[in-house]
Amino acid sequence: MSTPAVDLSELEHDALTELVNIGVSRAAASLRNMVGEQVTLSVPSVEVVSRKAAAILIHEREAGELVAVRQDFEGAFSGRALLIFPQSNSLALVKAVTGDELAAVEVEAMESEALSETGNVVLNGCLATMANMLRRPLTMSLQQVLRGDGALFFELAERTDDNGVVLFLYINFSISGRDIRGYIAMLMDLPSLEALKVLIGEFIERVMGVDDLGALA
Amino acid sequence: MTTGAKTSTTGLLKGAAGAWLWDVPAGLLFGDARFADLYGQPAEAAAAGLPTDAFFASIHPDDHMRIRIAVAGVMHGADHFAKEYRLRLEDGAVRWVSAMGRADRDADHRVIAFQGVLADITEQKRVEERLRVAQSAGGVGTFEYVSGFGTVDVSHQFCRLLGLTPTDVLALRAINATLTSGQPLLIGEADGAAGRDEYREFEIVRADSGERRWIARRGERLNDGPGGAERFIGAIHDITPFKSAEAKLLELTATLEERVAERTKERDRVWDNSRDLLVVVDADGVYRAASPAWFRLLGFRPEELVGRPYTEFVEPEDLSASAAVFAEAVKERSLGNFENRHRHKDGGWRWISWQTSTEDGLVYGYGRDVTEEKLRAEALSQTESQLRQAQKMEAVGQLTGGLAHDFNNMLTGIIGGLDLVRRRIAEGRLGDLDRFMDGAVKSAHRAAGLTHRLLAFSRQQSLDPQAVDVRGLIVSMQDLLNRTLGEQVALKVVFADQVWPAVSDVNQLESAILNLAINARDAMPDGGLLTIAARNSIFDTERASGHPEIASGDYVEISVADTGQGMPSDVVAKAFDPFFTTKPIGQGTGLGLSMIYGFVRQIGGHAAIDSEVGKGTTIRMFLPRATPGQLVQESVEPEAASGAGSGETVLVIEDEDSVRALIVEVLSELGYRALEASSSVTALPHLRSDQPIDLVITDVGLPGLNGRQLAAMARELRPGLGILFVTGYAPTAAVRADFLAPGMDMISKPFAMNDLAAKIGEMLARSPTA
Repeated sequence: MSTPAVDLSELEHDALTELVNIGVSRAAASLRNMVGEQVTLSVPSVEVVSRKAAAILIHEREAGELVAVRQDFEGAFSGRALLIFPQSNSLALVKAVTGDELAAVEVEAMESEALSETGNVVLNGCLATMANMLRRPLTMSLQQVLRGDGALFFELAERTDDNGVVLFLYINFSISGRDIRGYIAMLMDLPSLEALKVLIGEFIERVMGVDDLGALA
Repeated sequence: MTTGAKTSTTGLLKGAAGAWLWDVPAGLLFGDARFADLYGQPAEAAAAGLPTDAFFASIHPDDHMRIRIAVAGVMHGADHFAKEYRLRLEDGAVRWVSAMGRADRDADHRVIAFQGVLADITEQKRVEERLRVAQSAGGVGTFEYVSGFGTVDVSHQFCRLLGLTPTDVLALRAINATLTSGQPLLIGEADGAAGRDEYREFEIVRADSGERRWIARRGERLNDGPGGAERFIGAIHDITPFKSAEAKLLELTATLEERVAERTKERDRVWDNSRDLLVVVDADGVYRAASPAWFRLLGFRPEELVGRPYTEFVEPEDLSASAAVFAEAVKERSLGNFENRHRHKDGGWRWISWQTSTEDGLVYGYGRDVTEEKLRAEALSQTESQLRQAQKMEAVGQLTGGLAHDFNNMLTGIIGGLDLVRRRIAEGRLGDLDRFMDGAVKSAHRAAGLTHRLLAFSRQQSLDPQAVDVRGLIVSMQDLLNRTLGEQVALKVVFADQVWPAVSDVNQLESAILNLAINARDAMPDGGLLTIAARNSIFDTERASGHPEIASGDYVEISVADTGQGMPSDVVAKAFDPFFTTKPIGQGTGLGLSMIYGFVRQIGGHAAIDSEVGKGTTIRMFLPRATPGQLVQESVEPEAASGAGSGETVLVIEDEDSVRALIVEVLSELGYRALEASSSVTALPHLRSDQPIDLVITDVGLPGLNGRQLAAMARELRPGLGILFVTGYAPTAAVRADFLAPGMDMISKPFAMNDLAAKIGEMLARSPTA
């Protein structure tokens, strides 16, 4: 994997993973509320890679068509969040979310809306939790459903330079044994990642600085 | 870190795992005995509740921060806690533990408790380490797949083998996407009965390099997954080198078959198309296989031959030779160019030339039809003999032409002379008759000389080898030579200080020198210089070794050199050949040089030509040096014999009446008494009678008993009786010395009467009976 310009230390990496873990946990709880069934999300693996490498990773791991829910965020660090599923998973996800009560035709008809809503719950839960943990507010844009391959998702429309990095999160979704998996990707440019790095450092300091861990709650 | 999410962490586990409960509102950490044991805390204290920072106290410093952050995450909302970390015990030992925990929250999402289980995974870590090393060293990647899931737990090595970025979990589709099309899934649901999964090989395209590789997979399917789901665990490794070796081997094998097929085809082509007979014969002489050429050459189809012995097809006359050769061939002695005759189906025979080789007791024969060659060779040999005959006839024509020319000249002299004499006598003019008579006699002598030369050429001439004073002979010939050469050619005679006497025949040597002089003259039509020289020449062993045609010894060399046009080398090479002449037909017999050569060889000498175009020609005769015992005979003119006889009795045996009458007439004129007989039979009564006989003159070539046999009988009847042979030639003894016993002599036909008289007188004078 190509080395990104911003290199997180091992501790920063752990801290970031934990931040995502918190965010995803919150998102899973929201999802659980939506589907009313047991939702398990794996402990995420976090990688900071270049945009190109992220596309390769996505391509390697998902050969087929993908569907993604996109949401841009702005604040102390800005970028774009993506919830990516294999296209083949999307209907299963929709069915899980809609509780298997709809006919196939109806499921297809409301697929995009269901995906969009699911994306909103997951991404919003995740990002908002992280922002909260980092004590910085984030403004979220409206979500958008995209279809295509990984390379397309990692293009930042506003910026054509190649300095952007991808915070690549791999999460295995498992909803009541359904074969659903997905990825959360956060695209940020270098200044945003620098900012994030600083915020992570502050987070670590806060965590370490408090002897009584119970007080953190 | 791996599949914690798949195993739900509900309740506290006893036994191997230790359990903890972090009571957040109370700020106490409770642990069971196992937890206390792993954390190095008194079990009672753990059961009663420890301060919460006891959770971090024993953690290895390297993992401390990591775990603190993770716990902070839980406290701030993370649902899962799944960490592996090291605990440092009081004795300094380090244990690896795996902690799985979760947060319990109230309705407001506040954390009430953080609880989980802790397992000692030190051994597992070691095993994992070993496994990792083994996987990386052995190039083996492992996987674990639970039926129904979309992801597969994999080892990093597994990812590397497929060219994927190393990770612990891969999507099933991503794995199977590396396969080239048309193959079963690398990892998927069981396609048969559960149990041991068969060994499978897959071709993949590496995700990173696009390289095609071969992967082997082995695995087991166990029904021990969550909810009884099938768990497929297995390993893959790269077998590309084996595959490519295998492919090469396959290709080699395939091309080998191709090559073998090609060779077989070639062999079949040779077998089918060969113009030669190809045959395989077993040791018993039975045909095992025969090529189609048999039909073309001999009319027999291969199937008519196979199973039958070769003896049925070979000409009976050639059978024994063929059997002997076949026996040799069976003994693995390859034979070549053996020829025998084979039967043709149409009843004819063909000559076949055989080559064989033997292998494993089978004789492989290759037969070529040489019938045509044989016929051609025969025809050639016939043509050659016809050609020789034609050449002979041409030579005879040349000879006859030359002889006729010479004889006509001589006969003209004789007839003309006699004609004139007759006319003069008829006219009564007797004064000047001798001149014409001499001319006629001279011509006749020359004719006699020609026949002598012919005989010398045929080497059937009677030679009279004696010690000859070469110098004296040449000097005596000078006048004759000067006359012969004419005015335009100068003669120069050169002698060494001393010249040995040479073994020769005076007349023949004279003739040879004269002949050479004439040739030289003819070679110098515009005049020149003729040099006749004589000197001693010694051929020691060394010199003679360079001339195989000449024996070592002392020789007298006589050379005749002209300054004429010379001869090219091809003419030189043939100059001594009989009938070879550069003169037009009718102007020479072509026998000159060959007769000289014959004469010189006959007396044990040698002749050589040295010539070059434009530089003249030198002919050298090497005559053997005469031993001191041999007298030098002066050439003497025979004395005129008249009335030499005194009534001695001479018996004349000659079958040719005219010759006999002539001899008798001469004897009578000389005063001898002559007895006549026309054959040995009629002569014997005379010899047996009591009447005195002083001399016998006999022809050699008599009918019935020949002259020599008669002479032998006469000697028995009358020992010491003188015998004079008259001969046209002496076929049984070319050299008279070998022919004649003491008291015998010889005179060649034709002879002058004076010569005969002298010979008779000489013999009777020696005769003991006289």
